[in-house]
Amino acid sequence: MAGQGVQGRSTGYPQLDAILPGRGWPERGLMEVITPHWGMGELQLLIPLMRSIVEQGKWILWISPPYLLYAPALVQAGINTDQVLVVKLDTSCKDALWSMEKALQTENCGLVLAWQNWLPTKVLRRLQLAANTGDTLGVLFKHHDSEHSPSPVRLKIEDSYSENAGFNESEVTVIKARGDFRSRSATINLYQQA
Amino acid sequence: MDEARVKSVAQRSKSNSLWYALYLPQLRELNSALQKKYLDQLAGHMQSVSSTVSFHPQALICEVRSSLKYFAGIDVIHQKLQKLVGEQLQQWDLADGFFYAASPTVSGSLLLARSGHNALVYRPENLRSALGQLSTDVLDLNKEQRRRLLNMGIRHLRDIWRLPSDGLCKRFGSNFVNQLNKALGKVAEPTLNYIPPPAFAASYDLPYELENLNQLLPIADELLAQLCDFLRRRDLSTSSLVLFLRHEKRDSTEINIGLRMASRSQQHLTLLLETHFDKLSIPAPVVAVKIEVKEFDAFFAKSDSLLKNEPSGSASYSDSNLIQFIEQLQARFGDSHVKSVSNATQHCPEYASLQLNYKEKPNRRGRIAKPIEVSANPRPLWLLQEPKQLNINKGRLFYRKPIAIVSGPERIETHWWSGIDVCRDYYVAREHNGSRLWIYHEKNGKRNWYLHGFFA
Repeated sequence: MAGQGVQGRSTGYPQLDAILPGRGWPERGLMEVITPHWGMGELQLLIPLMRSIVEQGKWILWISPPYLLYAPALVQAGINTDQVLVVKLDTSCKDALWSMEKALQTENCGLVLAWQNWLPTKVLRRLQLAANTGDTLGVLFKHHDSEHSPSPVRLKIEDSYSENAGFNESEVTVIKARGDFRSRSATINLYQQA
Repeated sequence: MDEARVKSVAQRSKSNSLWYALYLPQLRELNSALQKKYLDQLAGHMQSVSSTVSFHPQALICEVRSSLKYFAGIDVIHQKLQKLVGEQLQQWDLADGFFYAASPTVSGSLLLARSGHNALVYRPENLRSALGQLSTDVLDLNKEQRRRLLNMGIRHLRDIWRLPSDGLCKRFGSNFVNQLNKALGKVAEPTLNYIPPPAFAASYDLPYELENLNQLLPIADELLAQLCDFLRRRDLSTSSLVLFLRHEKRDSTEINIGLRMASRSQQHLTLLLETHFDKLSIPAPVVAVKIEVKEFDAFFAKSDSLLKNEPSGSASYSDSNLIQFIEQLQARFGDSHVKSVSNATQHCPEYASLQLNYKEKPNRRGRIAKPIEVSANPRPLWLLQEPKQLNINKGRLFYRKPIAIVSGPERIETHWWSGIDVCRDYYVAREHNGSRLWIYHEKNGKRNWYLHGFFA
C-alpha cells in the first residue's frame, strides 16, 4: 500500500479531496491534467494550490504556456504576481524540458506548469526524479492520456455539457493516483469565483 | 621602562628604514581625480622596487632600505625608477622630470624632495643639518603662520631648530611642531600603504587541441577552483568574469559570465559555465583556456532565517537557489525569454496585463504592497494575443462548436484621448465542447464578435 498514509495537500475542492488518496495533491512529483482542449477549467483546478504555494513564499513557473497569462485574473484569484515567472520559448521542446527539469530541482519553485503533449516514459521518469529532488510539484497539461505514463497522478477534465448543466460544473476523473487502483470521478464546481 | 622601550623602537625604526620620496610638482595643475589616478599607476611601478608605498600630495614615498642590497645601492633603484616614471610621464604628456630625496624619515624625505634638493641622507644624525638648510616654504603652513615666521626673521628650518619647542607649540600649534618632529624622526610616522587592486587571471595550455566542449569542462572547472580559492583567501566574491577559449590562428571565443548575486561558489560557477557551453558552438578547436575576473565584490555571507517558516512569502523568495536558476535560464535563452507578469491599471483589457523581462527588484522586499485595482467582473486566465473573430451560423455564435452566452454584458469603453478607441460588450460564454470563453461584441466599426480569452 504505497500511497497509504501519505498526507496530501488539500486541493481546495472537497469533492476532489474525497476521491484522491491522501485526500489532496501529492506534496511532490509529477501530475498530468488531461483536457480535450484548453479552457476547460484546468487552471481553475489548481488555483487553490497556487495560492497556497505563493503564500509559502515559493514561486510558480509557467513554461511556454499556449496563451498569454492574464495578470488581472491572477490578482482576482489572490495570487501575488511577483512570484510568477513565465518562460517564453518559441519552438524547442528540448528547451522546455530542460527548463522544467531545472525548475523542478529548484526548491523555491513550488509549482512548475508545462504544456507538452507527447513525452516518452524515460523523460517523464526523469522529470519525476527532478521533482522529488527539489521537493516540488510539476504539472503537465495535455490533450491525450497515455496509459503507460509513470506520473503518479493523472486527472481528466471532461465535457459534461448539456443544455441544462450549470456553467460552473465540470466532471473530473482521477484516472490514476498512486495509492489507489480504482479510477473515480466527481462533479466539481471549478468556477467558484466566477 | 616603557619609555626606554619606546625609544628603542623609535631608534630601530630610524636606523632601519630609508624612505625614498618622489615629488611631482607638475601634477599640481591637474584635478584631484586625475592626480589620484596617475599616482595610483605610479605606485604600481614603484612596487617593483619596494613593497611599502604610500601616497602624499603630489608625491609617493617608498621604503628602500630593505631592497638596497638586492639592487646593489640606491643609485640603481633611482635609475630604475627614473626610467619607469619618466616613460610613464611622457605617455601622459607631462614634463618627465621629478624631484627625489631619500632619508630615514618619511616627512624628512618629503621636505627634502619638495625643496628640490635631490638629497640623500643615510644617517638619522645627519637629518637635522640636512633639513636645516631648507627654506621654510617647504612646510605645510597657513598664511598666518607664514607671516609670523617672516616677522620673527625665520627663513630656514635651522632657525627653528634654535627655538624652544614649547614656545613654538604655543605660537604655531602642536601640528607645526609635530610636523618637524616627524621629519627629525622624533615621533613615529604611520603611513597608509598602497595595496594594489586584486586581479585574477589563470590560464591553461592544452597539450592537444580539443573540439568537444564537454572535455573542456574539467579543465575550466580546475581554473574555477583556483579562482574560488583566490576569492576565499581575500574575502572577495565576483559578479563578472570572462572565459577565453583560444584557437589557432583565430580570435578567441569569449564567454562572459555575469552573476546577479556575486558569488564564489565553484559549484554555481561551474553550473553557469556548463549552461553557456550547452549553447556554444566554437569555430575551431581550442588550444588554451583562460579565466579573467572583470569585477570583484566584497563577500557577504548569507545567514539563514531564525524562524524556519516565515509567515509572509516575501522573506524567502529571493533565496539564492532561485536566483541561480533564473540566471541559468537567462544564460541559456537570453533575457527576453524570461518574463515577469504584472498588472497594469488600464481599462482596455489587452493593456491590463504586462509581461516584462524579468529583473530583480531589490526594493521590493521592504515595500508595502499597494492594493492592486482590478475589475470585479470575471477575467480569464488566458488571453489571446490577437482577438479571434467568431462566426455567426443560423443566428448562433460559433467558434469550433456553437457558443452559448452565460453572463454579461460588461461594457468596456476607453476614452478617445487615450489613443485606443475601444467600445465593447464582454460576455462570459460556454462552447458546446466545454470550453469557457471570454467573448466580446464590438459596439463600433464592423460590430463583429470576437473571442478574447479562455477561463481555463
